[in-house]
Amino acid sequence: MKRILASVTDGKGFDIGLVLLPLAFLFIMSGLPLVYNVVMSFQEVDMFSLGSFVRPFVGFKNYVDLFSQPETRPILLNTALFVSSSIAGQFLIGFGLALFFWMNFPGASWLRGLFLVSWVMPGLVVGAIWNWILSGDFGVLNFFLRETGVIEGNIFWRSDPNYSLWAVIIANIWLGTSFNMILLSVGLSGIPKDLYEAAELDGANALQRFFTITLPMMRSTIGAIIALGLIFTLQQFDLFAGITSGGPNNSSNVTQYWAWDLSFRQYDFAKGATISVIMIVFVMLASVVYVRSTRHEVRG
Amino acid sequence: MDIRRFAILGTVALGTSLAAFAASAEDVTISVWSLDRDIQPAPNLINEFNKMNTGIKVEYRQIQFDDVVSEAMRAYSTGQAPDIIAVDNPEHALFSSRGAFLDLSDMIAKSSVVKAENYFPGPLASVTWEGKYYGIPKATNTIALYYNKDMFKAKGLDPSKPPQTWDELVEAARKLTDPAANVYGLAFSAKANEEGTFQFLPWAQMAGGGYDHINSEGAVKALDIWKTILDEKLASPDTLTRGQWDSTGTFNSGNAAMAISGPWELDRMIKEAKFDWGVALLPVPEVNAERSSAMGDFNWAIFSNTEHPEEAFKVLEYFVSQDDRMFKDFGQLPARSDIAIPPTGEPKKDAALKVFVEQLKYAKPRGPHPEWPKISKAIQDAIQAALTGQMSSKEALDQAAEKIKAVLG
Repeated sequence: MKRILASVTDGKGFDIGLVLLPLAFLFIMSGLPLVYNVVMSFQEVDMFSLGSFVRPFVGFKNYVDLFSQPETRPILLNTALFVSSSIAGQFLIGFGLALFFWMNFPGASWLRGLFLVSWVMPGLVVGAIWNWILSGDFGVLNFFLRETGVIEGNIFWRSDPNYSLWAVIIANIWLGTSFNMILLSVGLSGIPKDLYEAAELDGANALQRFFTITLPMMRSTIGAIIALGLIFTLQQFDLFAGITSGGPNNSSNVTQYWAWDLSFRQYDFAKGATISVIMIVFVMLASVVYVRSTRHEVRG
Repeated sequence: MDIRRFAILGTVALGTSLAAFAASAEDVTISVWSLDRDIQPAPNLINEFNKMNTGIKVEYRQIQFDDVVSEAMRAYSTGQAPDIIAVDNPEHALFSSRGAFLDLSDMIAKSSVVKAENYFPGPLASVTWEGKYYGIPKATNTIALYYNKDMFKAKGLDPSKPPQTWDELVEAARKLTDPAANVYGLAFSAKANEEGTFQFLPWAQMAGGGYDHINSEGAVKALDIWKTILDEKLASPDTLTRGQWDSTGTFNSGNAAMAISGPWELDRMIKEAKFDWGVALLPVPEVNAERSSAMGDFNWAIFSNTEHPEEAFKVLEYFVSQDDRMFKDFGQLPARSDIAIPPTGEPKKDAALKVFVEQLKYAKPRGPHPEWPKISKAIQDAIQAALTGQMSSKEALDQAAEKIKAVLG
């Protein structure tokens, strides 16, 4: 008895307790809903059976139904395009800006702070504003492009199926760039200056210094940002609601918006859950890649 | 320590006993949920009702439009449902078909206030399920054609003769469209949500189609007309992603010469539109064709697990007895054919009202069907597939009919 008590207050038991507490928290707050979601995707659920746990099991019927729908493939492709383009755009522009502000000219930190404004704005507000900017007849973007001679006639960003997904991607890049920039700036400032001095003495030019010092030193930061970017873009819902509502004809629809539409507009909760499960699989695959790519990092 | 604990216990005990006492001395309590804000009917009528001291006390809770169904469902399935709720009319069948709403047929038959024959057929049909009444229409609305009389004159059209048929509408839109002046002939909504269905279904119905035969020849023709309007840029391409409120906004600012929308636009239009305008019935496929229109707005219903059905119905009777003030005080149209709406003193509004009341006679409910949202989604997808040119009208509506058939079983 005394031994157990001693172990709990100062020993292995204490360590186990420390681990168990957050694990229990994680399990209750994230694990259970996740399991519940997976269970729901194998059941027949409607508004009236939402409150009970006992529902008829239908096996893989929801999955089969989902993949036999004509819109499923385009929506999955849209999601892939949305995620990859958004992350690429946010990362490249964010990295460019971070390198720019790293040069530390007068006022650099102020300007960098101002960029964060886009990050603190609520998604729905950003969506509503971009909705106006991208409006076909009176939008600012069209006006600007017309005046500068880039386009002849108006582009109907929201309503032309060739552009609608890009309309949301543009808005999402704008929204996420500053976050990328801040994280990358932190990574940049962590690189010891003497490395660059030594490289310069050895005669490495700016480009060589970037590829042999900056990029390798930033590997874990970049990995983290891409992983976070994947999560944030897969979560991006407000912009779709604010700009295109997934239209026209699903040309800008993505899985996360579709899951909501199925669950809360058409009250098909089982299908909504099914889509979420598919998304979970993708996120897990991505996190495996992320964990593997940063496994060999030497920390500390 | 002990004294404090006793003090807490004492307060708690006192509190509970007081609450129990209050409850026992209290009248029957009826809870009402609706989306009406303070300037809309429900909260005001409830205040008045409570002042009459009838032995029934009504509690009000405002819910948001998007939350009505999910909130109500959650409450119902966990036994926390209110006694009375207001739901959007296409959602009504979802509840009544599953026995969540109380069958009011007998009470309505006995009532001296609520009479089924006083209601427009459309709203009444939306509360009906298998021949029984599961609710009472709260208010109603429909859509008609707004047109800019000044622009009609400027383009040599007769402002006293708005377009009557689809062909006339397209013809007028062609004449009125003026890209140089940023003017489109027509503004309407083909958005991929309930608004798109709301606007398209009347067109299909006028031509002999309907949600259960959406690929009929007439419906295909209707969609072809819509496609013509969009292909020739007689309406903004953003029609596909813009709701009715925003579309009509372009009419008010003089960027569209005609607009299809409902009476909810009237007050804003009177304030914002700096030109002479009028309202006409929705154009029909050809002269003397059957008329049709969309039907919007909410219905009252009593949840089937209420403990006080009689009292709840009394509350509804009071609401119904005040229907004649609906337009004057709250700007809403009662769903009743036996009430003459008194003039408001605003000539344009009064003239528009006459048209809307006439149009209401032809208003048809969406459904009623418990899985309406899925049917509606199939129609929205078809509209959008055809209008973006990804399918022909016929193919798109055939596909919709296929999906709807699967839902109807």
